[in-house]
Amino acid sequence: MSATKTAKIAISTLVLGLAFSAMLYSSLNEETQYYKHVDEVMTQPGEWYGKRLQLHGHASDIRRKADSLDYRFEVAHNGQLVRASYTGIVPDTFKDGSEVVIKGTLGPQGFVVEPGGVMAKCPSKYEAGAPGAPGKVSRPAPGIQSSAN
Amino acid sequence: MPALGTFLLLTCFVVAAYAATASVAGARRQSTRLTESGIGAFYLVTALMAVASSVIIYAFVTDSYAIKYVDRYSDAAQPLLFKITAFWGGLDGSIMFWVLLLSVFGAIAVRNSRESHRELIPYVVATIAIVEMFFLFLMVMHNNPFETYLADIPPDGQGLNPLLQNVYMVIHPPSLYIGFVGMTIPFAFGMAALATGHLDDSWLRAVRRWTMVSWLFLSLGLTLGMIWAYEELGWGGYWGWDPVENAGLLPWFTATAFLHSVMVQERRGMLRVWNMTLVILTFFLTIFGTFMTRSGVVQSVHAFGEDKELGLMFTVFMALLLVVSFGLLLYRLPLLRARHELDSWVSREAAFLANNWILLFSAVFVLFATMFPTLSESLTGERLTVGPPFFNKWMLPIGLALLLLTGVGPLLAWRKSTVENLWQQFLWPTVAALVTGVTVVALGVRVWSSGTCFAMSAFVTTTLFQEFVRGARVRQQYSGSDLLTSAVGLVARNQRRYGGYIVHLGIVLMALGFAGEGFKQEEQLLLKPGETVTVGPFTVRHDAITITQDAQKQMVTARMTAFQGSRELGTITPAKWFYNKRTDEPTTEVAIRRSFAYDLYVVLAGFDAEQQSATFHVVVNPLVNWIWAGFAILALGTLLALLPERALAIASVKVPEAAATGTTTSALLLAALLGSAAFPHVAHAQHVEGASTVVVPMSAFEREIQNDIVCMCGTCGRKRIDECTCGKAEEMRIEVAGLVKQGYTREQVLDYYVQKYGSQEPLAMPIDKGFNRLAWAVPYGLGVFGAALAGVTALRWSRKRHELEDAPAVASTEGDAWQTKLDEELRDLD
Repeated sequence: MSATKTAKIAISTLVLGLAFSAMLYSSLNEETQYYKHVDEVMTQPGEWYGKRLQLHGHASDIRRKADSLDYRFEVAHNGQLVRASYTGIVPDTFKDGSEVVIKGTLGPQGFVVEPGGVMAKCPSKYEAGAPGAPGKVSRPAPGIQSSAN
Repeated sequence: MPALGTFLLLTCFVVAAYAATASVAGARRQSTRLTESGIGAFYLVTALMAVASSVIIYAFVTDSYAIKYVDRYSDAAQPLLFKITAFWGGLDGSIMFWVLLLSVFGAIAVRNSRESHRELIPYVVATIAIVEMFFLFLMVMHNNPFETYLADIPPDGQGLNPLLQNVYMVIHPPSLYIGFVGMTIPFAFGMAALATGHLDDSWLRAVRRWTMVSWLFLSLGLTLGMIWAYEELGWGGYWGWDPVENAGLLPWFTATAFLHSVMVQERRGMLRVWNMTLVILTFFLTIFGTFMTRSGVVQSVHAFGEDKELGLMFTVFMALLLVVSFGLLLYRLPLLRARHELDSWVSREAAFLANNWILLFSAVFVLFATMFPTLSESLTGERLTVGPPFFNKWMLPIGLALLLLTGVGPLLAWRKSTVENLWQQFLWPTVAALVTGVTVVALGVRVWSSGTCFAMSAFVTTTLFQEFVRGARVRQQYSGSDLLTSAVGLVARNQRRYGGYIVHLGIVLMALGFAGEGFKQEEQLLLKPGETVTVGPFTVRHDAITITQDAQKQMVTARMTAFQGSRELGTITPAKWFYNKRTDEPTTEVAIRRSFAYDLYVVLAGFDAEQQSATFHVVVNPLVNWIWAGFAILALGTLLALLPERALAIASVKVPEAAATGTTTSALLLAALLGSAAFPHVAHAQHVEGASTVVVPMSAFEREIQNDIVCMCGTCGRKRIDECTCGKAEEMRIEVAGLVKQGYTREQVLDYYVQKYGSQEPLAMPIDKGFNRLAWAVPYGLGVFGAALAGVTALRWSRKRHELEDAPAVASTEGDAWQTKLDEELRDLD
């Protein structure tokens, strides 16, 4: 009695667990994005064509087509550089030299940023992000740095 | 004054240690005096924390910028309210606020249950005191809010981020903290029950109300976070699955699960291990959430920054927590056998079980997805991220399933539902759901998730209505009064049950609000004066850009006219404010035109003052306000369920009075909610930090080194050169760049500076070598030693007493047995 019950529970747990893992796995495949620095990708850009990426680097040479929201700019990190295009609203802190993460896909023509895919670095809601603030957390871009190496 | 503060914190640590030791020793030796002294010490912690908190608030109010924390989060121009609330504006202060709340809650809980749960109290005191000790240890060793500048006291502070200077941020963090901290109390009682073996349901009765209060505040905190994101951040939404938000949501899931499964234990004596697990998990998740967002384990653009040391302390604490609590649970497993088994899957128990599984799964899923980037990086070395779409894809069906269960649960009978009562119960709700579903499809709604949500909402609402009407009918037969009076009386007599139903109604409204997201419409574009844009039912015309100035800031405002169809709604004025102290970080002032069906939401994203043209983000958000209204109802329901049971007696005698209290609370709550909604935008900003002064990209290595060396100009108060703005720091940065270029390693650069200045003074941290290593180890050693000492003392005290009483022990054991029996009898009578 009790043994069959245990078996039943074990089997249903197993089935449910497998089903969820399978669903999780398939949806993960669709939804994940690689998080890379520009130089990690641009040394062999061909490998990354068509994959969804988040690229981290410094923006430069930002140009906007007159009377539109079409932007073209470059993002560089460690001497490597990628050209990017984007249509839409950019954050206030998106300026030449600012540290950014862009989301989108890479192709032979450059990096196409998806809508809302430009993020400039961002303090937390609770921490006042004063640049000269003392304390233990003081690197320029604390959250997004250490993934480099 | 800062010295007084630090001293108070240290004293608190010692007193808390005594409270933990003495109360446990007292319980083991059965020495009332010792236990009492432990409880006394426990109250003393509360008093001391209150004094310490007053000291820091006093420091804020009197602008004592010698204290680093005050300097960082306040300035002279800050309004008094924000000076006071800057107390919890940063990490150090928020930990202190946490301990303050915990000590206050602990004191109240102990005071309330001191007589009714006498056998549990010593262990409750010990558990809470140990948690307090952990946070006090963090503060004293790592994040002391009373840390001062040794020289060069700044004349004015840096000021609280304008982003935080608004009314939501005054109440949002405390409310979340109350929710988090409150969850410690159930945990403490659970631990006490496990430690003493008093595992009947009495500990549950002690904590039910605490869980509900904490749950309410957690919900309030989450909702305020949504309102804040919606109104202040200006990206058009309210929930972005940010790790910080998720941290608050995790314990909410498990606490909700507990509030449901606790009913099964009370009613049927089942799920006893499960309930204990949920209590432990909820507490664990409050700590884990704090850890996750504070230590930099989760990295995103929104994360708090890295702090390995803090991360380590949290990890050790969490590991101990899991080992001890689940160890105790395993040890007591034989005492936790269920009194009944599940009779049928078509029963209310089963519905609760399903609800619990789904809630727990939600928690696990959100945890997994939040930690996914970190997990993938540590497992494969490849950093993979998942975005909000991934969360939504999973949470949407999960949410719908929960909504369905909200309706199904109350319809099922305890133990087993017969086919006959299934028919009777499900008929009308199912009809309502089908009718709504067909109507929705006929109206041309093609968003399947929202359509399903509408149908299910109809189902649940009908269920709730049916419950009220049937209950009231039955009561009407007894009392002979009219239906409405009977309904009020019904609610007054079963506050928990009907309060719960009202909470469900609130959830339905919120679900409708979330479903509205499926019909969101938005447009991003550039408008010249006179040009218009139409989004959904609204048309907006850009008229002009004006620039005005006040003492604090420069304000760039777009004047626009909004129309609904051809009807003119009036002027709307989205704006950007440039605070004088932070011109790099303009704040975004969203213009929102609210109505129950749609919000028109306009953000000024960019502007060209000469041409008068501007870029706008125009969003039409349907049904958003239903979320806030739903929360008000949810809160009302919870308050009703929370009314003391004594109120029940009065309420059932004098119905009108109960109704009156009900309406006053709801009116108060609504007033509070409307008040906050109507509050003018005090200060807001887009959620981004100012561009750093670094223009040339540096290598990570160079940046790391800049972080290791402090400015040696002698006036900057030992700021690291990467953040110091004086000329000397600039010089040193160039010097470092030169050294790096020459191929110096980190060691060599540090050596270079040690030799140049003849000491380790230019190093931000002492070199981890030889004698210096000892300096690092001392605080940790002290902490471990203290804990060990406390443990040993507790053991020895209790043992001594045992040895002493060996001879007369026989008699007293017998007496004890009688005493225990008597206690149990009395408990059963409760």
